Amino acid sequence: MNAGAVRQRAWYEREARFIPAHHQPAGLIDLALMRGIESHRLLRGTGLFYQDILGGRQFISAEQFLRLIDNVRQLRGGDDCSFLFGQQLLPGHYGHASHALRHAQDLQQALDRLVLLRRRLSPLLTPRVRVDDRYVYLHWFDSCGAGAREVFLMEACMTAVTAMCRWLSGGPLPWEYQLRHSQPDYIEQYWVHLSEAVRFGCPQNVMRLPCEYLFKPWPHASLTVGQVAEQTGLDELAAADEMAPSLLEALFDYIHKHVRQPLGLERLAEAQGMSVATLKRKLKHHDTHFLQQLDQVRTYVALDLYLSKGFTSDEVATYLNFNDKANFRRSFKRWTGLLPSEVPGRLA
Amino acid sequence: MPPLFALHRMKLLTLLLVSNFGLMLHLSAGDMKPLSVWDWLDIVGEGGSAMLLLIWIGLLLKSRPAGRVTDLLFAGLGCLFFSLLMDLADEFVRMPDSVSWDAWLESGPMPVGFILLTLGIYHWHREQLAISAQMRNRERLYREHLHFDTLTPLGGATYLKNQIEMSIKQAVTERQPLSLIMLDIDAFSVINRDYGQAEGDRVLQVITQLVLLNLREHDLLCRLAGDRFVIVLPNTLESQAAAIAHDLALSIKHLAYRTILQGERLALSATTVAVMARQEGAECLLERLNTRLAHAKQTSLFRSA
Repeated sequence: MNAGAVRQRAWYEREARFIPAHHQPAGLIDLALMRGIESHRLLRGTGLFYQDILGGRQFISAEQFLRLIDNVRQLRGGDDCSFLFGQQLLPGHYGHASHALRHAQDLQQALDRLVLLRRRLSPLLTPRVRVDDRYVYLHWFDSCGAGAREVFLMEACMTAVTAMCRWLSGGPLPWEYQLRHSQPDYIEQYWVHLSEAVRFGCPQNVMRLPCEYLFKPWPHASLTVGQVAEQTGLDELAAADEMAPSLLEALFDYIHKHVRQPLGLERLAEAQGMSVATLKRKLKHHDTHFLQQLDQVRTYVALDLYLSKGFTSDEVATYLNFNDKANFRRSFKRWTGLLPSEVPGRLA
Repeated sequence: MPPLFALHRMKLLTLLLVSNFGLMLHLSAGDMKPLSVWDWLDIVGEGGSAMLLLIWIGLLLKSRPAGRVTDLLFAGLGCLFFSLLMDLADEFVRMPDSVSWDAWLESGPMPVGFILLTLGIYHWHREQLAISAQMRNRERLYREHLHFDTLTPLGGATYLKNQIEMSIKQAVTERQPLSLIMLDIDAFSVINRDYGQAEGDRVLQVITQLVLLNLREHDLLCRLAGDRFVIVLPNTLESQAAAIAHDLALSIKHLAYRTILQGERLALSATTVAVMARQEGAECLLERLNTRLAHAKQTSLFRSA
C-alpha cells in the first residue's frame, strides 16, 4: 500500500468536525434545556455557543460531542437522560439519512442503512450487523474514543434502535441485550426503555433478535423514497469527503481481515502508513491501546465461530493460530471473562 | 437574587438600619481602642458567629416563602445577629464607665432572639405537619429530597427500594401481608413521538394525580422509571391488591385526557399487575413484579393482534 495515498483521508479521528451540531447534539441540548439546565453551563468547555448552533452551520467533533455528554451527565445527574436521549435519536431529523431509515421496507434494510449511513446516524458508536441461522446480531463498538461515556452511549444507541423498531414495525420487537458493563443500580431504566432480557458483564455490547423479524415488512414505508434517500445520503457523504471510516473502525477492519495471521503493533502501523510511535500516540488519544483493539476483534471472531458457526473450542484455537490449547483458553478467558466451555450456557 | 430582595426588602432594610444604628451609637459614645489591646480570639469568635448568622438568615429567606413562620425565624435570628454584632463592636470601641446601655444592647436582644426563634421553630413544626398531610400517599416515614423525581412529585426508584425494604421488615415483624402493584402506561412512546415530550411529561403528571386520588391512606406511590409506577400496599393481600390494580386500570381508561395545545382527546390505558411479597429481598420482589408485568403486556399484545 502506498503511504502517500493512505494519508489522504483513509480515516478520520476524534478531532474531525463532521457532526452537524443541529442533528444529534441538538437533541441532547433540547433535553437538557427542557430539564432546566442553562445553555451556557451545558456548553461549558465544548467551545460551542448556542447562537452558532441555531445558525445551522456548526459542525462539531466527536470530542466536543463527548464533552457535551459529560456536561449533561454532570448537570442533570439523572439516570434516565441517556435513555430519553436515545428514544428520539432514530430515525431522527438528519436529512436524507433519516429519510432512508424512516422508509426502510424491513429490519434488514433498516440495519443496512444504519451501517451504511452511520456517520450521520450514529457518529459515536459503530454498529456492525451479523446474522447466523437463528439470530440477527447488532454489535456496537466505540468509534471515536468514548472512554467513560461508553455506558451512556450504549444505553442511548440500544434505546434508539429499540424505539425506532417499535415505531416503524408497529409494535415492540423481542430484542435481547448483552452489555459489557456491570449491572448499574438503575436497572429499572433498562426494564422500561429496553426490556427485561438484559444481561450485564458480557464480553461484547450486542443486541440480538430472532431472524424471522428481519424480513417482516414494515408498514408505512415508501420503497422509492427510501431508495432515493439512501442514494442521495451516500452522494452527500461522498461529496463532503466523508466516506472514510474512523481510525478505530479502520483498525478493526484491518485486524479483522488479518486475524488469522500473527499481528503486531509494527505491522499494523506499517499497514496504516505511520510509525509505531504515532499509532501508539493516536490510540492513547482515543483512550485505548493496541492489545485492547486486537482482543476486541478476536473476541468478536471467536464468539462468532463458537456460537454461530458451531466450531469447537479447538477449532477456534486453530483458526486463530493458537498452537497451544492452554494458552488459547487463557486468552479466551481474558477476552470474555469466561472459559470456552462456559460460553454456551451464559451467552447462547 | 432578585426574588430574595423583592420578597424580603423591608426585613433586610430594617436589619441593616438597626445594626448601623447600634454601631453609630458605639462610635459616638466611646473611642477606638489601640490595636495593641485588640483581643483577636474574641474578634474572630464573635465576628465569625455573626457572619454565620448572616448566612443562616440568607439561606432562610432564600428557601422560604414569606409568611408568619418566616417572620418569626427572621426576627429571632436578627436579634441574635444584632447582639453578636454589638459584642463585636465592644472589642474595637472603649466605652466610658458612665455609659451602661452598651451592656443592654449586647445582652438584651439575645434572650429575646432565642424566644422568637423557639416560637418560630415551633410554628415551623406545625407547618411541616400540615405539609406532610399533603404529601399523603407520596412519602412514608422517611424523607430524602435527593431521591425525589423532578417531573412528577413522587419518590424515585431509590426511594422506592428503600421503602420496600422497610415495608418488608415491618410486614415480617407485624405478620401482615405486603403487596405491590406495578402500573405501566400502554403505548406511551407513541404519545411522546406524536405529541412531543412535553405532552408525554404532562400525561405522567396527570396520571400521577389520578392514581393518588385512588389510593388508600397508607399506600405509597413511586415512579420507577419512565412511564412505569409502583405502589406499595402494606397490610394487603394479593387478591385485594389485584382488585385495586384493576380499579386503577379502569380509572385511567375512563380518564378524558385532552392535549395541552389542541385539546385533542387522547385515549389512555395502562397495564397493571399485583404481587404479594414472599420471603425475598426488595430487588428480588421488584424483579418478580417486573417480570409479571412483561408477561401481562405480552398477553395483551397477543390479544389485540
